[in-house]
Amino acid sequence: MVIDMSPFYGGMDNFDRVFNELWGPLNISQRKVAYPPLNISEDADALYVRCEIPGVNVEDIDLTFTDATLVIKGERKIEKGKYFRQERPTGNFQRVVNINAPVDVDKVKAVAKNGLLEIRLPKSEDTKPRKISIDMN
Amino acid sequence: MTKDIAQTEAKGLPRMKPATDILETGDGFFIYVDMPGVRKEDLIIDLSDDELRIGGRSAYQGVTNENRIHVEFGNVEYTRAFTLSHIVDRERIKATLKNGVLELHLPKAEKALPRKIQVELE
Repeated sequence: MVIDMSPFYGGMDNFDRVFNELWGPLNISQRKVAYPPLNISEDADALYVRCEIPGVNVEDIDLTFTDATLVIKGERKIEKGKYFRQERPTGNFQRVVNINAPVDVDKVKAVAKNGLLEIRLPKSEDTKPRKISIDMN
Repeated sequence: MTKDIAQTEAKGLPRMKPATDILETGDGFFIYVDMPGVRKEDLIIDLSDDELRIGGRSAYQGVTNENRIHVEFGNVEYTRAFTLSHIVDRERIKATLKNGVLELHLPKAEKALPRKIQVELE
C-alpha cells in the first residue's frame, strides 16, 4: 500500500485547513467556496479571465459568452479504482463572471495550458480613449 | 488585496500541499496530483529509498502591465511526499503530466500480484 507519511499525516486535516485559510494563496479573495478559482485583470486593450482547472480536457470545458456574462462550465471526472485517499474535487462546476464593459465578442479567445485556462476579452473599439485632433482655423 | 500578493512574492512563493488522489487498480497504484501551472521542466520527482517526493512551482506569467481586478490564486510552490510500500516495482514507475495533473503509475512487483493457487486432490 502507498502510505503518506509526511509530517502532517492525514492530508487536509483540521490543522492544515486552518493554516491554509489563514495563509493559503487560494484564499486571497473573500469567496472561498467558488470553484474554479479565477483571476481577473485588464490592460488597455483587453480584459483577462484566468482560472485554474487542472485535469479537464479542453473539449470538456464549455465557455459561453452572452451579453455581459461569461459562463465557464465543465466536469471533473473520477478515475476508476479503489480509493485510498481522495482530495481532488470531482463533479460538475460552473462559474459566472459579469463583464461590465463593452467587449468585442467576435474576438474573444481562450487558451488552455498546464491546467490554466486564459480567456482574453478584447475591449470594443468604441471604449478606447481616442485622441482628438484640433484643427487650426 | 494586491499588496498582500506583492508581499508574498517578495518573501518567496507560498508553499502548498497539492490535492492528491491515491487509488489502486488491478495491476498497481495510481497517484493523481493537481499541480496547475507547473511546466514539465519545473517538476521534480525524487525517489530515494522508500520516499517519493514531488515538487514544483507554478509558472504563471508575471502580470506586469495588467491591472488586477480580482485575484483568487497565484504562483505557489507545491511539495508533497509519499512513502512507497515494498510491493511497488520501483523500476517501472511512470509519470505523466497532462493538463496540470501529475499522474504517477506505480505498478506492483510481479511477486505481489494476486496468484491463483491450485488445490491438488489427494
